[in-house]
Amino acid sequence: MSRALAEVLLLGVVGAVVGVHVALRRLAFVTEAVQHTVFPGIAVAYAAGWPLLPGAAAAAALTVALLVGLTSGRRRVDVDSALALSIASFFAVGVVVVSRRSGYASDLGTLLFGRILDVGRAEVVETAVIGGLCLLVLGLAHKELVLLALDRTQAAALGLPVVALDALLYAVTAATVVVAVRAIGTVLVVAFIVTPAATGRLLTRSIGGAMAAAAGVAAVLGWIGLSASYEASVHHDVRLAAGATVVVAYTAGFALAGAGRLVLGRLRTGRRPA
Amino acid sequence: MSALVDAFGQHFFRLALVEAVLVGVVAGVVGVHVLLRRLPFFVVAMSHATFPGVVVGSLLGVSLFAGGAAVGVAVALVIVALGALRQVDDSSAVGIVLAGSFAVGVVVLSAQPGASKDLSAFLVGSIVTVSPADLVTTAVVGAALVAVVAAFHKELVLGAFDPGGLGALGYPVRRLDTLVLVVVTVALVVCVPAVGTLLAVALLTVPALAARRWTDRVGPMTVLAGVFGAASGVAGLCLSAVFDIAAGGSIALTATALFLVSAAATGGGRRGGRA
Repeated sequence: MSRALAEVLLLGVVGAVVGVHVALRRLAFVTEAVQHTVFPGIAVAYAAGWPLLPGAAAAAALTVALLVGLTSGRRRVDVDSALALSIASFFAVGVVVVSRRSGYASDLGTLLFGRILDVGRAEVVETAVIGGLCLLVLGLAHKELVLLALDRTQAAALGLPVVALDALLYAVTAATVVVAVRAIGTVLVVAFIVTPAATGRLLTRSIGGAMAAAAGVAAVLGWIGLSASYEASVHHDVRLAAGATVVVAYTAGFALAGAGRLVLGRLRTGRRPA
Repeated sequence: MSALVDAFGQHFFRLALVEAVLVGVVAGVVGVHVLLRRLPFFVVAMSHATFPGVVVGSLLGVSLFAGGAAVGVAVALVIVALGALRQVDDSSAVGIVLAGSFAVGVVVLSAQPGASKDLSAFLVGSIVTVSPADLVTTAVVGAALVAVVAAFHKELVLGAFDPGGLGALGYPVRRLDTLVLVVVTVALVVCVPAVGTLLAVALLTVPALAARRWTDRVGPMTVLAGVFGAASGVAGLCLSAVFDIAAGGSIALTATALFLVSAAATGGGRRGGRA
């Protein structure tokens, strides 16, 4: 239980900081796509009895390479279509691989929703190391990434390596998805990256402030969600999936912040916002 | 091959084939509008967000279609409402709502015993268990969707390319936009029994993408997308019988293969490259 809590807190904080960058660049769909495209990597590793992390990482790297290749350069493909295509094909490969095994349904359930209550000490350490690296990279390239997000033309004019920075952000996002996938599963990871970050941006306007707020919100709500799931399972005999309960807590937090924001805005202007 | 011959002898397999053709045609036709309006992310979101409706529908014993469609419409309204918050961009709004809604579905389902098996059926579909009643539902709803798309063809296409022009001509732009979202959501729910919630996005985007490689004209593209959708369904189902793999996955992969062949045959990224 304490390991699960540590994992939720780590993932929450890393996801929140990465998420603010994702929100600035409107990359929510990329995150969604990567969480589905890592699935075949995990499925193959699982079927072959290899550790899951390298499998997921390989699939994520392939996705990022495809994405950078398709969306940079002169003959650009519509990004949304490229992502839909890669989700459809990658995820289908994963389903096909898993369906060859017996015990298909429960295996699929594990891979899709993760087993946060089963994480081991080594996995928490891996999460801490990879998450720490992601934060370090984002911290070092903070100024450049923010400029690129807000004013792409000027960033290019200043001689920043635009494509390389794009690739860097994709890679950090993908790495976060990969470490989170084991615990949260391949469907709900997007909530760890998108939801607390959006909540943070509702609470404050500055980018650094939004990161801090998002990390705080993610930590508190992660703890609440995990405790609620634990409490319900142990004392009330209602099994609530742990990862999903945390995501519901995140979403409730966002809804509260959004409602508060709307009410405040209405009070301030004294009438309905246009 | 003998596995395939055996399969054709089975009643359930023939039913599944009919379902695959119906779903393929409907998804292909509607998919063209998904591409024209750049709605792939909306489709992915909906495929997740309708999940609690499907779960609750199945727990209460009411129609999965009704449950999924009801939640789908509610979620679409929430996404539109979130547009009022300046700090939240559209893509974040879609992401938050899809994950939150899906999580609710998982939590509700996890409280039921024997959850994981049902869950897989929802997620990747179970086309071979389709019943004659399901076929009738799919046929009726699908025919209605195709009729709507055909009836409003001119307005929908103009709205996709030039919403300003459509408004200037006096058409109700917002109502037509909502109509597209409703049509897409219902088409998605129709696909669920065949390929599951997660792979429905494959049928709603990939056949249309493949069709767009061959023509820029919307009418022929729509016909071709319907044909590609049906072909993916049939070929995918046969492959799944031969190799004993999940039908939803093999249908999606067949569609992808069709796209790759189309892309190769029409020469790289020339056509529709910037669309």
